[in-house]
Amino acid sequence: MFICGHHFPASEGNDIEFEKVVEKVKQSAGDCSGKVVTLTGETTKGDVVVTLEVPEGTFAHSAFVDFYNQSEDEREAKMVYFTNKYQISEISKAVDGEITEELCKNLDDMYLYRVKVV
Amino acid sequence: MSELRQIAFYGKGGIGKSTTSQNTLAAMCHYYGKKILIVGCDPKADSTRLILHEKAQNTIMQLASEAGSVEDLELEDVCKPGAAEFNPDENDITDGYIMCTESGGPEPGVGCAGRGVITAINFLEEEGAYDDDLDFVSYDVLGDVVCGGFAMPIREGKAQEIYIVMSGEMMAMYAANNISKGILKYANTGGVRLAGLICNARMTDREYDLAKQLAKAIGTQLIHFVPRSNHVQRAELRRMTVVEFSPKSDQALEYKELARKIIANDLKVIPKPLEMDDLEALLMEFGLEDGADEAIVGQKEEDIAS
Repeated sequence: MFICGHHFPASEGNDIEFEKVVEKVKQSAGDCSGKVVTLTGETTKGDVVVTLEVPEGTFAHSAFVDFYNQSEDEREAKMVYFTNKYQISEISKAVDGEITEELCKNLDDMYLYRVKVV
Repeated sequence: MSELRQIAFYGKGGIGKSTTSQNTLAAMCHYYGKKILIVGCDPKADSTRLILHEKAQNTIMQLASEAGSVEDLELEDVCKPGAAEFNPDENDITDGYIMCTESGGPEPGVGCAGRGVITAINFLEEEGAYDDDLDFVSYDVLGDVVCGGFAMPIREGKAQEIYIVMSGEMMAMYAANNISKGILKYANTGGVRLAGLICNARMTDREYDLAKQLAKAIGTQLIHFVPRSNHVQRAELRRMTVVEFSPKSDQALEYKELARKIIANDLKVIPKPLEMDDLEALLMEFGLEDGADEAIVGQKEEDIAS
């Protein structure tokens, strides 16, 4: 199955432990220190209604850096697949705790998010 | 040469099954060069119109009726190559090629719609439509009623992997669970497997949670959450897929990602459908707004407010 864009073989079943996802994502993202990850949420008309910075050192931070690196979107701010934003939020709630609580509340909404990494 | 994969998209009528399947299959061709035969198995015969840039294709049942019987038809009569980029070489099956056919059905109120599916698939097999050069055969099937006819693609070793198009709405989830029951019935005899749920989102409260939990409960994956987008309708009105109309748009990228996952997917399971009570419980647990519980059943909004 696919979580945060990564493939987990069928032999691992349909309920992958978060630790395995975290490990795979962090390995793929590499060293994320010093990187500033900014998210913008927008309506279907493209109006930006929320801007967020993802706390460094969290799973969410690594996951968005990884997503940004893997994305084939040619724009500077890369569109985040809805599937991925919901998956990142779900895992971040479990492993990052309070530090990303507000961020995850936003990610659970229906806006389209774009990510920029500097 | 890779082995031919026979897949099917099932889902409740009106869920956006044909739109989702055509846009995804188009993405598999446009971005990954796959060669595909689409077999529309919906009496509406709208499973190929976006690929063909046409209103509706003449169906096998319609053509058989005009010719006298299905034996009077040739493969060329019922199969049409896709329009524009989906027919890159007019003579050969080359990368990015799509061939289309529609089973059709009887006039409303007459006969059995599922019979059209059976007739069509038998005819295509006998006439050698499943060319060795193809990468995928894709069936697009109505899933409100999983009767013998509409179950034809999952019987007798036809479609091997089934994708159920659903949403977070109760009836779409009910239909998804019901289709899983149909797959379970033929899993051991025909080898059919459930390959994932595709949430064609209505953008309702906690829709991702609901779709994901249903997928987990029946033993499969939520392979992709496809958001709502005006680009889909804009493309549809032009009788085009999104990847042709606007290949760099956000929505085209969503279909591209779903296409990538389907091509690489290896999670194909015998589903474990839920009992109706368990499905209701899942809806109550994950579908209700924050802070609400079963006590709200039968309550009016004005009562909740007070």
